Amino acid sequence: MTRTPKPDASEWVDTLLDDVGKLPPADPRGDLMARVLADAHAMMPPPGGAQKPRDPGWRQVVRLLGGWTSVGGLVAATAFGFAVGLGGLDSVGVDLDAVWLLDGAVYVEDAEMGLGAFGWDIEETGA
Amino acid sequence: MPLDADGDTAPDDAALLARYARGDASAARALTVRLTPRAFAQAQRLLGDRAEAEDVAQEAMMRLWRVAPDWRTGEAKVTTWLYRVVANLCTDRLRKRGRSDVPLDSIPDPVDTAASPEAALQAEARRAALARALADLPERQRMAVMLRHFEGATNPEIAARLGISVEAVESLTARGKRALAQALSGQVAALGYEG
Repeated sequence: MTRTPKPDASEWVDTLLDDVGKLPPADPRGDLMARVLADAHAMMPPPGGAQKPRDPGWRQVVRLLGGWTSVGGLVAATAFGFAVGLGGLDSVGVDLDAVWLLDGAVYVEDAEMGLGAFGWDIEETGA
Repeated sequence: MPLDADGDTAPDDAALLARYARGDASAARALTVRLTPRAFAQAQRLLGDRAEAEDVAQEAMMRLWRVAPDWRTGEAKVTTWLYRVVANLCTDRLRKRGRSDVPLDSIPDPVDTAASPEAALQAEARRAALARALADLPERQRMAVMLRHFEGATNPEIAARLGISVEAVESLTARGKRALAQALSGQVAALGYEG
């Protein structure tokens, strides 16, 4: 099947484009130049260029570890593991029914205490 | 490298922009003098309204100041970037005006004050009709057509500025002009041409 070539744009379109292109542009008024220059000065970075704020070292470490959520989970899991390793839960008489790791925090579930964040609730209850 | 008014070798736009980003006030002045008239002329040609064209030129230059610290020399020409920003700002305004034909009494002052009133009105009607039709073109077609006919750029120059091949420029220009011819087909006689 042969394709019918599309006709070129009419000559008058070329003429129209050229006619409009030849229209003499008006000169910008002085107040436009003044406004643009005022914007330029207002937005100009300080000499030497804008210094991008640098994160303190500890913030870079947090970012490397995957952000606050990850760090929170890491810290809580570490504390929990440390406590279990020391036999801390048994020694304080806590009989856990379940352990949950939710949203970066470790929760323990116990028939007497209900659901609570590990450490803080237990210490208050046991105090 | 362009020459300045005194015929001395002037730094290119990207070098001036880099200086501006380092807080050089003289670069701000040089860029303002060099680029604002071009942005304004382009906007005036598309919008036909001095006040609106001034607003567009100022907004486009404001965006240039804003991107200056992050400008990556060599990725794009400053003038091409600015041309595109002005074209897009004008297109937004033209679309907001709506697609209805502009009533005669709302046509702004004629651009060419030396021409007869009839010729000036005709010129303004052509400019307004073309601007509306250009606004409906896809951006790359619009850029190719405008650079070719308004800036007098050659196809290789357009290809370099848009980062595409010469063949792609030829295709974009041809398709753009066909779309313009179709969009304006009902106004050929009214604009003073023979289709």
